[in-house]
Amino acid sequence: MPGGMELKNDVFVSSVCALCGACLDWCPYIANIEDHLVMRFDCYVADGRCYSVCPRTFTDWQAISDRYLPDTPKNIEIGPYYKVYKVKASQGINGQQDGGTVSNLVKTVMEDELAETVLLTGTDDHITPEPFLVENPGDIEKAAGSRFLASPGLRKIIEAQEKKVQKLAVVGRPCQIQALRKLGYNQSNEKPPMEVISIGLFCMWSLGWDFKEYLAKEFPGEKVLRMGIPQHGFVVTTDKGEHNLPLDEVKRYIKPGCSYCLDMTSELADISVGAFEAEEGWNTVIVRSQKGQELFSKAVDKGYLICEDYPEDELNRLKGASIGKKNRNLENIQAAFDKGVKPFIDLNSEMYVKVKKMAEGMVK
Amino acid sequence: MEWMITADEPGKTYLMQGNEAVARGALEAGIRFAAAYPGSPSSEILTMLGHVADKMEMYAEWSTNETCALEACLGASFARVRSLCVMKQNGLLVVGDALHSASLSGVKGGLVMIVADDPSAHSSTNEFDSRHQAKSAALPMLEPANIQEAKDMVKWGYELSEQLQQLVMVRTVTRINHGRSTVTLGQMLAEKPNPVTIGEWDRMVAINWFKDAQIAKLDQAQEIFEESPFNWYKGPEAPEIIIITCGTGWLYSSEAVEALGLNEKVGILKIGTTYPLPEKFIVKHLLNTNKVLVVEEVDPFLEQNIAGIIAYHPELNIELLGRCGQKTLPRNGELNPDIVRNILASLTGKVFTGPEVAVIPPEEATPLPARELTFCAGCPHRASFFLLKQTLRIHEGQGVVMGDIGCYTMGGQRAGHYLYNFLCCMGGGINAAEGMGQLTRFGFKQPVLALAGDSTFFHSCIPGLVNAKYHDSNMLFVVLDNSATAMTGFQPHPGIGLTAMGKAAEPISIQKVAEAIGCQVTVADPFDISGTTEIVYKLLKQPGLKVLILKQECATLAVRKRKKPRVWVDQDLCRGDECGCGRFCSRIWGCPGNIWDYEAGRAKIDEVVCVGCGVCASLCPAGAIKIEGGGADE
Repeated sequence: MPGGMELKNDVFVSSVCALCGACLDWCPYIANIEDHLVMRFDCYVADGRCYSVCPRTFTDWQAISDRYLPDTPKNIEIGPYYKVYKVKASQGINGQQDGGTVSNLVKTVMEDELAETVLLTGTDDHITPEPFLVENPGDIEKAAGSRFLASPGLRKIIEAQEKKVQKLAVVGRPCQIQALRKLGYNQSNEKPPMEVISIGLFCMWSLGWDFKEYLAKEFPGEKVLRMGIPQHGFVVTTDKGEHNLPLDEVKRYIKPGCSYCLDMTSELADISVGAFEAEEGWNTVIVRSQKGQELFSKAVDKGYLICEDYPEDELNRLKGASIGKKNRNLENIQAAFDKGVKPFIDLNSEMYVKVKKMAEGMVK
Repeated sequence: MEWMITADEPGKTYLMQGNEAVARGALEAGIRFAAAYPGSPSSEILTMLGHVADKMEMYAEWSTNETCALEACLGASFARVRSLCVMKQNGLLVVGDALHSASLSGVKGGLVMIVADDPSAHSSTNEFDSRHQAKSAALPMLEPANIQEAKDMVKWGYELSEQLQQLVMVRTVTRINHGRSTVTLGQMLAEKPNPVTIGEWDRMVAINWFKDAQIAKLDQAQEIFEESPFNWYKGPEAPEIIIITCGTGWLYSSEAVEALGLNEKVGILKIGTTYPLPEKFIVKHLLNTNKVLVVEEVDPFLEQNIAGIIAYHPELNIELLGRCGQKTLPRNGELNPDIVRNILASLTGKVFTGPEVAVIPPEEATPLPARELTFCAGCPHRASFFLLKQTLRIHEGQGVVMGDIGCYTMGGQRAGHYLYNFLCCMGGGINAAEGMGQLTRFGFKQPVLALAGDSTFFHSCIPGLVNAKYHDSNMLFVVLDNSATAMTGFQPHPGIGLTAMGKAAEPISIQKVAEAIGCQVTVADPFDISGTTEIVYKLLKQPGLKVLILKQECATLAVRKRKKPRVWVDQDLCRGDECGCGRFCSRIWGCPGNIWDYEAGRAKIDEVVCVGCGVCASLCPAGAIKIEGGGADE
């Protein structure tokens, strides 16, 4: 397995880094401020943990999926799943983005001791993401709401290890769930052993931190309270009111590494949560593992979550969106590989060939 | 040693360092004023004079820069007191304007300038021959060939200076300044002159009206030099070769002639008054030979002036050899007895048969590990360079760094992660950064940084800072404030609060100076690596001029004031060569206190070298470096 200098070359210099944060905090060579993640000094360790956990170094995702979700029915569009639900919280939570589902799942995790510690991403200013470990259900609210800026939150795994956490729950973006699985897959001997339950988020892309400067310039003196993407464009709510930003304008700030992501719905998570596009105030939940099912059932049984059957046409729409992302980014990946970026997936594998065919079929 | 330079024991012989001999010569001449800016190899002179100043009823100061020093001496000279100005070769260029002007106005009280050259740049950024400046400024110049001469020439320099009413330059080289030899003391001047009243119509002004007088002084100096006891010839009447030499070249040449048994064939013409040359004296000897080898340090200054004499004297028939022409001697770099002996052997066909210096055969020699220049253990510069390098990398904007002159010049090498892109002279960094920072108007996007130490800040950065502020350059000026002129041996500067004479003074705050200029100033601790990294990162993103003072006392000074904590490695926690470390402390951080325990395969602290700054503990990814005890005021 290669080491840090290969990671620097293959991932950082090639601008394919997803900013998941899995390589941080163990290593004294890799440093981060805001969305800059670099090798601050040259490392010559030949066999690096960093390279082995990175979601942008070569990975057989099918094998990892088979390891962690062996019994789950496979699906090429949105990954392995048992069932998709339309869900919302029975009681609203301060700052919730859509249906408040994630906050209630986390609350259930802690109350029912499915994990003692949860990795969440909060914010102090409604813009800047700040990953943190939660040991107290009262702190969950601090993480309510979506973060749009990329944040290397998976770095906190090291803190959890140092704290000798036995059971950890992770709420993360698809790249972070990928890294989390890769970490377990490649580093199964890593001490101390930690049992992990993962709550994956839907994600189309993350923004670079220069978006903050853009907002400051667009709305000088205003305090951002909330950001979201409802049906039309990108909406920023500030203390002075609501502003619509053209989505194309916002998309200029997408992190380059996000254009190589094939996962919209956190396909390797135990349970995935995203928006329900057809109706405001609801979430989409994809249950993918026994563990995920157990957590979801508990949250519903406790009365925290209200769940409905998922409309068939909405499921098709969701799958279409997911395939759309996969197809677009497969093209970006192909172009990057053509330009000399070190291949991090086998584009000829069955899974990706199928995606291509499906996408072609959708266009037809 | 100070008792030696002040001893009233004429005729007594002591073992003295060249710089002591210089100070002694000046004291024998009854100087009442001395000013200098530190620079190797000259720094000891003013340090010693400062220590004895009260006792010797004189004043001594470490001036803010060399120009301040020379012009201060001119002021003293105007009041008819004798003064000594000391600097190294780079400093002479700093005073270039003052030097060329002062040689027009001349002096009243004797003024001798010591300019110490550093052949091969042992402790300089560049090798430079000061003698060109004496010629350019039309100043008489003396070059001692040994330590006794260093004392005697300085003393006589005052007589010459007052006779000519002109500055006199004494040019030394490292081997004279830092060499040691016996020196016989002379008489101290019985009564030191007190300053005189400056009359309404007394003048000392530098204007071109005095050009003729300046030239006349030079001609007069030449006449005096024709008879000078500092010039002599030793050798046969009709030598095959005459070696014309000055300074330490005389020592090397004498040794070479002796070693090769060439006393009957080769003569040595030793010149102590190297500008203007005693032409008649030289021609008289050159008529006796057809071959001349010139042996001197740094540039072919003497050689080319000899060539000039030959050109004006058709009666001479000379093949001239030296660093120029056929390049008989190396074109640059310091000479030594072996080089001169080998050249002389090849010129005369003589084979050296004497005993060689004992040399260990290579197969028996233990190879010395290659050692590079680095910062001392606990040096705050190491932390500053570490955090600046990492911040520039994290920022990903390819920041350009302009360096400057001081201990921190080493930051351009591995000790500072090769941080510098640019290095010129003292005060050069901030001005280069100002210029590059103006290019943002043409789309230049890289952040521009300039670095300077605290002593350098006072020496030559203030005009640059005014310039950068007034023209609002996009740059970050970083002052590495270690509260010391550490490179040259801890001479006090205006920020310290102490004078050369050991008196307390009100320190001048760099922060307040910068703020008075109108700069936005941030002060941070370089030992707080992560906190200060965040600060630098934010400053890099701001447009306009920013000043950052990285303040932490030089470890060599700090360790004398505090009880040293014990820093040690818990080797059970240390990751050593493994992933997640890779010897980060000893390999990347690179403090001489962080060493590698080869037996254990783990890191270790050299507790003798460590000064207990504890920065490595904050960098250890495994928390294996522990700090115990320590505190203020031992």
